[in-house]
Amino acid sequence: MRRISKRKHREKIRLVTLNFIFIILCFVTLIPIFYTLSVSFSGQGAALSGSLSFLPENPTLENYRAILLDEPFLLWLKNSLILSVGTITISMICAVPAAYAVSRWRFPGRCGILKALLVLNAFPQVLSMFALFRVLKTLGLLNSHIGLMMIYAGSMCVFAIWNMKGYFDTIPVDIEEASKIDGANNTQMILRIVLPLAKPAITVTCVMVLITVWNEYLFATTFLLDSDSYSLAGGLYQLQSNDYSRSWPMFTAASVLASAPLLLIFFKIQKYMVSGLTAGGVKG
Amino acid sequence: MRHRFKTKAWLYLTPALLIIFIVIVFPILYTGYISVTNMSLYHWSDYKVIGLDNYARALFKFDSVFLSALLTTVLWTALNMVIQLGVGFLIALGLNTPKLRLKRVYKTLLMVPWAVPAYISILLWRVGMFNIEFGVLNKLLTLMGFGKVDFLSNNVIAFCSCMALNLWMALPFMIATIDGALQSIDRGLYESATLDGAGFWGKIRYITIPGIKPIIAPAAVMTTFITFKQFDIIYLLTQQRGYMTGATLNTVITYAHQNAFVSNNYGLSGAVSMLLFIVIILFSLLTNRSLQED
Repeated sequence: MRRISKRKHREKIRLVTLNFIFIILCFVTLIPIFYTLSVSFSGQGAALSGSLSFLPENPTLENYRAILLDEPFLLWLKNSLILSVGTITISMICAVPAAYAVSRWRFPGRCGILKALLVLNAFPQVLSMFALFRVLKTLGLLNSHIGLMMIYAGSMCVFAIWNMKGYFDTIPVDIEEASKIDGANNTQMILRIVLPLAKPAITVTCVMVLITVWNEYLFATTFLLDSDSYSLAGGLYQLQSNDYSRSWPMFTAASVLASAPLLLIFFKIQKYMVSGLTAGGVKG
Repeated sequence: MRHRFKTKAWLYLTPALLIIFIVIVFPILYTGYISVTNMSLYHWSDYKVIGLDNYARALFKFDSVFLSALLTTVLWTALNMVIQLGVGFLIALGLNTPKLRLKRVYKTLLMVPWAVPAYISILLWRVGMFNIEFGVLNKLLTLMGFGKVDFLSNNVIAFCSCMALNLWMALPFMIATIDGALQSIDRGLYESATLDGAGFWGKIRYITIPGIKPIIAPAAVMTTFITFKQFDIIYLLTQQRGYMTGATLNTVITYAHQNAFVSNNYGLSGAVSMLLFIVIILFSLLTNRSLQED
């Protein structure tokens, strides 16, 4: 009797310690976020003062007003949306049929293509950026959203094909054959049977493309030179690379606004991210 | 029948292959071509083929920055992976303690850094954490009565700062993956091990680690590639144009980028890029084989 209560006691102490450790860990992890939020809601002088507090002393929305009205934040947002929608459209038009083909049909060259795609995916695109720069310059596509969309779509295509192939593989072929017996032709079958079944997979892939485009800054700042075509990444980059002592509070407000939608989307699809990423990333 | 499949399959693949060729394959080939020329700012259009000089310069020049950058990259990748796997494992193990009621809350909070766009995290850390006047770290040091530290001023401290930030950004993925793997282990195994008299560490060694290995291995390989390719952190923290911080820290990727976009030595940059591509292909062939054997 006594021994059991002693063991329970020890277990309790262990749980309390563990909870304590996790609370500290979460707090430390979130310090940069708390600090950003606090700066974004405080007046100009607060960030410079020596004191450190995670609650703004005189809360104000001035930084948010400034970034939304004095800076072209809404234009950047619009450009980011255009880039995202364009990239998703192009990459899906290319990747969905390709993923379907490699998942359903066995044809000579199939394995070769799948392996080649993985190798290409391993190449860091930063390294061919100068070549891309020259290509875009020659084609007159520097500064244009179309050029950037093509680049994003091409690089996301590899990931999208692998990711969706994995899902297509899990849809039983029997369903398709049944519909063929019922007299549906190939196009009808794909549009009416396969795509609705694959909708979750396609949605998740689209969201991942969206996240990538939204988060990309290097190409966006290298290929879009005209401030009217800046995406959010370009705008925020420029905001901090100017005189950040002046614009730092405004930059935090912009960061909060640019990250918030992504945070919501992320936690909605998070459970797919782990499995999808690893399945698409490595498995051969 | 077979023949019909073949034409149709290639038809379905055409748009994807076309765009992949234009955006990925052609630039790689073009980079390969640039790497054997003397293209630079002074030879923008009147460049000529000079053979393998750029490769020789990257590999065999006495004070080659490329080789030291390669060493930095290997050190960076190895340290990051060891710490990520170790710390990620410990945290995930803690999260999976039975009767930890707030598990979901802790896990969600720990995932937040993953959800923030990477460039925003880096730029926020640059000023919000590391900066001399605005940074939390320096404010803390001042409060505790120490002097201020410039966290990006020299190579060693900049390397550590970059690593801290990389861990902050990358650990959530590791924790989520290991946590998922831990949940896939049959609880019954632990119970029978307890009956057999196995201790805490014995269970970890003989049940937990073998149980999660098949799931962790591909994720670890993927993270190794990502860490090896990491460019944004070092570039945005220490090498922004006009804001060089004094550290001359370079990984191979930032070195190639610097040669192309700062010192405008396109030929050398191309050679470095091609060498890296070969390294990466070899590495991926090697890991693919070892993963399949498991």
